[in-house]
Amino acid sequence: MNKLDPRTKIVIILCLSTLAVVLNSPIPLLVLFVLTLVILSTFRINFIGIMFKFKKLLPLLLVMLIVQSVFAAGGETLLAYKGINILTSNGFNAALCILFRMLILFSSAMLIMTSSSKDYVLALVQLKIPYEIAFMVMVAFRFLPVFLEEIKDTLIAVQLRGVDLKRIAWGNKVKFYTHFFTPLLWSVMLKARQLAITMEARAFRVYRRRTYLRVLRYSVLDYYVMAFFLLTTIMVLFYVSLDKFSPGIFSMTDHFQLSPGKPLLTTVALPVLHCQKYKKCPDSCSSGLIKE
Amino acid sequence: MAFIDLINVSYKYPGQQRTILHDINLSIWNRGCTAVTGSNGSGKTTLSKLLLGILTPVTGLVKLNGQPLTSMTLPQIGRRIGYVFQNPDRQIFCATVEEEISFGLQNQGLSPDQVLQKVKAILDYFELTRYAHTFPLALSAGEKRRLAIAAVLALEPDLLVLDEPTAGLDPYRKRLLGDYLEKIIASHKGVVIISHDHQFIARYATRFIRLKNGQVVEGQGA
Ligand SMILES: Nc1ncnc2c1ncn2[C@@H]1O[C@H](COP(=O)(O)OP(=O)(O)O)[C@@H](O)[C@H]1O
Ligand SMILES: [Mg+2]
Repeated sequence: MNKLDPRTKIVIILCLSTLAVVLNSPIPLLVLFVLTLVILSTFRINFIGIMFKFKKLLPLLLVMLIVQSVFAAGGETLLAYKGINILTSNGFNAALCILFRMLILFSSAMLIMTSSSKDYVLALVQLKIPYEIAFMVMVAFRFLPVFLEEIKDTLIAVQLRGVDLKRIAWGNKVKFYTHFFTPLLWSVMLKARQLAITMEARAFRVYRRRTYLRVLRYSVLDYYVMAFFLLTTIMVLFYVSLDKFSPGIFSMTDHFQLSPGKPLLTTVALPVLHCQKYKKCPDSCSSGLIKE
Repeated sequence: MAFIDLINVSYKYPGQQRTILHDINLSIWNRGCTAVTGSNGSGKTTLSKLLLGILTPVTGLVKLNGQPLTSMTLPQIGRRIGYVFQNPDRQIFCATVEEEISFGLQNQGLSPDQVLQKVKAILDYFELTRYAHTFPLALSAGEKRRLAIAAVLALEPDLLVLDEPTAGLDPYRKRLLGDYLEKIIASHKGVVIISHDHQFIARYATRFIRLKNGQVVEGQGA
């Protein structure tokens, strides 16, 4: 499986993440997550270690759970305090959705690491994306860990000179980070300039046509895999948009019409609110749609 | 009990197969000058980061004055041990040269007058006075290294760990640095130098350690 064309891998990742964003209730998302893990294991990726890192997100999820329960009305109340719903079934569902979505997005992204970054530049170029842009994408991926490493070292240097980052107050923390922003930005710019010079010294963009040592070719397996993923995704999207399943399982069509420009918050919040509308009037709403 | 004790320390970077340091036992005193040599990639920088508690050993224990490093915070360790990174860019984070040197002093709770005095003395010694208000990252590589060393020396730690401090320094500045190190050693403080500069360490070091195949070999002379 690791021999698959990088383009195929990109398609798989796109399909999985599209589904993760579109599906909107815990059970299908759980199914999708299990599917993702199965795919990962066919690529022989060790995902167990990464999953443990999600422990850190648990407090955030707890907050989401309460926020969703308090502000999104509807569903059964599981816990209430002085008339305010602290825990509702809808809030619970929403928090689960968020958890599964994040898990799916992160784990599908792990597929990227099974090819080298050079292959992705080739893949992007052969998908007719200009070489400059493909190269920039690769540089970003290549240098991100380096920058993080550098920032880590700098933070260590700061602490060794007497600042206890774990203990300083929140106000000071903000001041502290703005203080170090300029030098940090500077060192990034410096590095970018050096990289640009190195690239030009090695004749970047001197000739308009680039030739490549290796040309990616799809194998039969690539075609099968890609077709399978695309068809499955399209089918699921189709079903969801027709709302063929009961609204309790897949949520509604409306959030497809959200323009991409709308803030993320609405795209996340609306479907949740939507679910609740259906819980309240299951008959009228679904019957109206089936007639269409 | 030495100043720093490494007890059966092994280290391997996460996600990597190769164990870089195998089962090392080493004591370092806060007296005299210890030189650490070894070929590229032999783990010298890794060893120095273990001494500072920047990295935590996979097995084994590092103790500072008998106290495990894992029970101390970086600021606590930084008060006792000064560390100059192999790449000085990484430890320069202030907006001016002057601020870079005063940063640690201010955190030590000195009065503004004392800080000013010390900064002035250090800037003078390392001949950085005329750069006092320039942006540190715009200095030349050699000047940056001098600044990085100066900023750590200003704190007067009990032990100073320098990772390849002479790289990029001209012979005159090397001598200045060496003279300063001699002063430090004479005032009963310790220095650990990681270096390939055999002339330099032969002149100043009193103890020689070589890293080979993840093991420590004590030696006589550079
Ligand atoms: N952050 C890191 N992650 C993974 N491997 C590393 C890291 N830093 C260093 N190494 C590896 O550890 C080995 C020793 O590195 P280092 O201690 O820097 O050697 P040197 O003796 O040249 O200072 C090298 O082979 C290097 O590839
Ligand atoms: Mg090194």
